[in-house]
Amino acid sequence: MITVRNLTRKYGAKYAVEDLSFHLERGEVVGFLGPNGAGKTTTMRILAGYLPATSGVAEVDGLDVLRESLAVRRAIGYLPEAVPLYREHRVREMLDFQGRLHGLSRADRRTRIPAVLERVGIAERIDSIVGTLSRGQRQRVGLAVALLPDPKVLILDEPTSGLDPLQRLEVRKLLAELSSERTVLLSSHILSEVEAVCPRVIMLRRGRIAADGRQEDLVRRLGGAAFVRFEAFIGQDVAAATRSIASLRGVRGVADRGRLGIHHVFEVQADEDLREDLGALALQKGWAVRELSWSRPTLETLFARIALDLDEKERAQRIEAPAALVAPTPHTLIELPLSGLSATRAASSPEKSAVPVAQKKVVYNLNPFDKGASRDLSRPKAIDDAPVPLPPTAPAPQTAPPKSDGTDPSRCERP
Amino acid sequence: MSGVWTIFRRELAGLFLGPLAWVILCIGFFSSGYFFVLGLAATDGDVMQSLSLALGGGWPFWALLIVVPPLLTMRMVSEEAKSGVLEFLLTAPVGDLAVIVGKLLAATFFMALLLSGVLFHGALLSLFGVSPDWGALVLGFVGAVLASGLFCALGLVFSAATQTPLLAAFLAFVANLALLTLPWVADFRGSPPGGALRVALRQFDVVLHYQGSFLRGVLDTSHVVFFLAWTAFFAFLATRFLEARRWR
Repeated sequence: MITVRNLTRKYGAKYAVEDLSFHLERGEVVGFLGPNGAGKTTTMRILAGYLPATSGVAEVDGLDVLRESLAVRRAIGYLPEAVPLYREHRVREMLDFQGRLHGLSRADRRTRIPAVLERVGIAERIDSIVGTLSRGQRQRVGLAVALLPDPKVLILDEPTSGLDPLQRLEVRKLLAELSSERTVLLSSHILSEVEAVCPRVIMLRRGRIAADGRQEDLVRRLGGAAFVRFEAFIGQDVAAATRSIASLRGVRGVADRGRLGIHHVFEVQADEDLREDLGALALQKGWAVRELSWSRPTLETLFARIALDLDEKERAQRIEAPAALVAPTPHTLIELPLSGLSATRAASSPEKSAVPVAQKKVVYNLNPFDKGASRDLSRPKAIDDAPVPLPPTAPAPQTAPPKSDGTDPSRCERP
Repeated sequence: MSGVWTIFRRELAGLFLGPLAWVILCIGFFSSGYFFVLGLAATDGDVMQSLSLALGGGWPFWALLIVVPPLLTMRMVSEEAKSGVLEFLLTAPVGDLAVIVGKLLAATFFMALLLSGVLFHGALLSLFGVSPDWGALVLGFVGAVLASGLFCALGLVFSAATQTPLLAAFLAFVANLALLTLPWVADFRGSPPGGALRVALRQFDVVLHYQGSFLRGVLDTSHVVFFLAWTAFFAFLATRFLEARRWR
């Protein structure tokens, strides 16, 4: 429905949009995200036929926006960020004007105008003068103006700015309704909204596409690693504690976030939820745990990463971090207490430190309401009985290799 | 073409929804009546001469043409650009030229309304038994509307080219003044009656073209073309300026 190929737009010598390419299928709802000045509005203006592109191709419904501009303008409903309405006119007159511009017949206008106002929830203000409406009401009227000709494609620049949370919810519902029959491209700085409405997200940064794909995929791929935040009193030997944590199975890296009072804060990166393993380790070591929580990347963290160039900064930090902290050596492998919570027994078994034995992933029943009544708490429950063989001598460094290209921060993925 | 009509209707409604149009109409009708009475008294009741005084025969008409069109057109593009409505208009399914022509027609229609006081005075006179030469009067009126169309188009050029209505009005005012006084250059340079400069400047002499035909009751297509051509040129120029806004 919308095809953009190598789209570039310059203001003077400055690039507003540079080499943009994406494609929207019919009926797709896509959220445009990016910090201010990333090129969202410029792209939308080009698609709406307001701005010509410096180079590249933009097509709506197979029509070139520059060559068949009028046909494209007839096919799209465009709501600019500024919500352009004639302030001196009444709501009905404004919609009537739009209807006439789109060549709707008088009968069509008479039935469609109240209907579309009903749809955006502002039917009672049909005879109000636009200038007397509040910001949120004007926003709805603007949406009604865009919807009136029943366009195939909707391009909405910040359609919910200025709305209160309740109205925002309604607009969200409306967009969900509309999306079944229309292609919608909307920009927003309210992430929760995009999260709720748009399955697919295109993120722009400095005029270029930084990410494009389904939300979940993007978050998983680019949102940064999930980590367990572990805050505990660990005594004086921070290095030893770090090594112990790093030796847990599944740990990809341990970031030392320093001291917080008498407690020490670690961020333990792993794909899966390692809270239980860490808890068991803490129990074994006798650490007083203050916080043990799992943070997963969200669209918000992804947005922040892209907006603030966190990738580059983090990469720079990583190079400074000593490799020993994240790459566990075989002899410091800590065994999980396989046969109960007795820490001393597990730690004192001498042969275990010499030969790396395959570990089982174990799960303790930590349901506080259970009180352990249903299951013998002295024995962990193995979820995976088949022993997983470890590499015989030197396990591969469990940190991912450094990234080769700059666009995909996939270093958190297992090699 | 339906786009032009839609824009025309919107612009006219927009004009009358503001106070400026009413103030201009009030002052315009009052002064036209005043000068009509004054003319009647000065010419010992010469009906046609006093009517033509209000239709380009005298300076009040030209003063009106210098001042009013810039006031009408100043907001038409520059303010819309500021409030963002222009973005709506330029993404609506109408061409840039249709936008300009619609606005130009609205401004010209308003000028025709303002000048229609003369027709009213003529009707009033025929009611009292002294019928004016209606052919000449109507032709003079048509010529006056054509002339005001030219000045409105010039006003639109500056409205499309500037960012603020005030600047647009001022520049249009200066340009109008320059257009009217351009033929005087020949007098300043002491150009002889058949001199090249005088002949060249005659091509731009709005007053001469108007007074030479319409006011005399002669419909000369060359003069009609003169006004239409210049109006079309300025409308084209305004359209280019409007297009240029997209590139900025």
